[in-house]
Amino acid sequence: MTRVGGWLAERQSTLMAYALTAALFIVGVIHSPGFASGSSIRQMLVFASFVGFAALGQTLVILAGGLDLSVPWLMAFGGVELSRLSASGTPAGLGVVIVIAIGVGIGLLNGVGATWMRVPPIVMTLAMGGLIQAYLLAVGQLSSSGDTVPSIAVGLASNRAGPVPVIAIVWLVIAIATGVLIGRTAFGRRVHATGENDLAARLSGIRVDRVRIVTYAISGAASAFGGIVLAGYVGTTYLEIGAPYLFTSIAAVVVGGASILGGRGTYWGTVAGALTLTVLSALLPLFHLNTADLEIVYGVVILLGVWASGGGRMLGGIRLRRAGPEGVRPGAQEGSDAAA
Amino acid sequence: MTTVTPPRIRPIPVSLRRGWSWSNIITAAILGALIAADLSIQPALGNLVQIGLLIETALPLVLLAVAQTFVVLVGGIDLSVGGVYVVTNAITVTWVGLHGGAHQWLLVVALGFGVAMGALNGLLVVRLGFQPFIATLGTWTIFNGIALTILPTDGGSPPPLLSNLLLDQVAGIPSSIVILAGIVVAWRLLRASRFGMRMYAVGADEERARLNGTPVRTVKLCVYVIAGLCAALAGIYAAGANASGTPTGGDAYILTSVAAVVIGGTSLRGGEGGVGMTVMGAMSLTLINDIVGAENLNTWVSVAAASALLLAMVIARTLIGAALARRRT
Repeated sequence: MTRVGGWLAERQSTLMAYALTAALFIVGVIHSPGFASGSSIRQMLVFASFVGFAALGQTLVILAGGLDLSVPWLMAFGGVELSRLSASGTPAGLGVVIVIAIGVGIGLLNGVGATWMRVPPIVMTLAMGGLIQAYLLAVGQLSSSGDTVPSIAVGLASNRAGPVPVIAIVWLVIAIATGVLIGRTAFGRRVHATGENDLAARLSGIRVDRVRIVTYAISGAASAFGGIVLAGYVGTTYLEIGAPYLFTSIAAVVVGGASILGGRGTYWGTVAGALTLTVLSALLPLFHLNTADLEIVYGVVILLGVWASGGGRMLGGIRLRRAGPEGVRPGAQEGSDAAA
Repeated sequence: MTTVTPPRIRPIPVSLRRGWSWSNIITAAILGALIAADLSIQPALGNLVQIGLLIETALPLVLLAVAQTFVVLVGGIDLSVGGVYVVTNAITVTWVGLHGGAHQWLLVVALGFGVAMGALNGLLVVRLGFQPFIATLGTWTIFNGIALTILPTDGGSPPPLLSNLLLDQVAGIPSSIVILAGIVVAWRLLRASRFGMRMYAVGADEERARLNGTPVRTVKLCVYVIAGLCAALAGIYAAGANASGTPTGGDAYILTSVAAVVIGGTSLRGGEGGVGMTVMGAMSLTLINDIVGAENLNTWVSVAAASALLLAMVIARTLIGAALARRRT
């Protein structure tokens, strides 16, 4: 009994997020039955997977008390660099590996800057995004006449295994792996502890800097991979291709019930957040709402989602500081900059 | 035996002490170096009209960065400044500019929108307890949507009187320079007022400010309203200066406004820094663009230079701060 109760309480915000997805989906189906057709669902899954990849690293980074604003530029980089590599004769498979490796490298730089160099995460990843943008501008003006996206990326984004898009299966596998990583491994517990209370984590022997650096590296890899798939789907690359994912990657995480302050959240919550945002954007055209309305609804949903998942704890501005033993408040650590 | 644990006390921020700190000096030095570089490339810049034009391009960023500074000073962050900017920008080139400017009094409505949007942010943060980042992430996209509803595509026209006023001269001085001077003077006055003191107190240590009897919530709410007002002024100014409006031009300013604040030397932790430093930071970013344009370099150079400057300034400040702290102890 209590175990079930505890399980429910622990996953309340995640379950809320899935309930929201389901509710929106049902609204869509009631309004127009075609909403539940195979092609409609497939497309939503594909779009949601892009958000899912962008938000994967973001989830880990936020869990550990950071923030990654370089995600959109990493995504643009993923598609552009793969196309460039394949244009210069690199085998596509090797190209994918190289691009993801560079993504890891960029993430490592983010992490080192945000920890050892004591640069606030917002500033570090903002500047890194600027540097990636500068690189992308430098390698070509990136009109759509650029290098063609290699077929491996196109196939990954558009092939199907039976009725299911390949990329949805890939996403599921990666989501399970990430879920295990966050929820069932020592590393996951260290990430939670680091985000929950930096000083307490330090005192209990966790190398918080190293934990944070790894989360940024994972974010770099996931975003670069997401960029590859996105470029494959769009069939071309351009500078602003990743731009929407700055917002959606963070929104998916917070709609999924994670705390922007770190320490609380799951990747399954983020998956629900990604699905919610995607179903929502598919739903609004049915009600003859345009992009402008979509933006407004997005904003309201984020605020409501966060408000609902935060429950009473967020009300009244009481939760100004995270609970912790007196004197071990994380106020002065760099982790608090993410929340600033 | 129960003892009351005294709240942890942070040292009084450098900015509350008198005189120029090393942090101001770095900011001023960078700005001075960029001015010198720009002047050596384009000696023609050294007259009032040219300076006026340069400040004219800088002013929207300056105003938005000023808005950002207020919020950052009390330990928050405002992602919605770009959203407020586009809404007021759109209102200025549509409702206000309609019929050749027959309804110029509607500018008050644009300002009112700015205040209302700022107040919404403030209420979300202060009353409903949202994290500033989340609250303004949500309102950012809401405001963008409102702007798109008012003005679906780039275009529109501001009232002619506004454009003339903003591009004219006051007693031989370009009005952009007058406006910039006005911003700095207004800031000095506000800074010296009781509200200014409270703002820094809240930013430096909210708990201690509360214990001292500072109305923390009211101060924060006012700060968000001021930020909304400044962002609204930016939107109105840009509409007048460009003689056209854009419903999507705000997003780029969100991150650059934070960059200008940080380059200026205002700490993201709150309680340290100020508008004067932010103005220098925003001018530095504008000068980088100007130099890159004058040298006919590619856009990427300016993006890379701005990012590198951002990183260099933060790292330099951290290193110097650590060195000073070591010397003090």
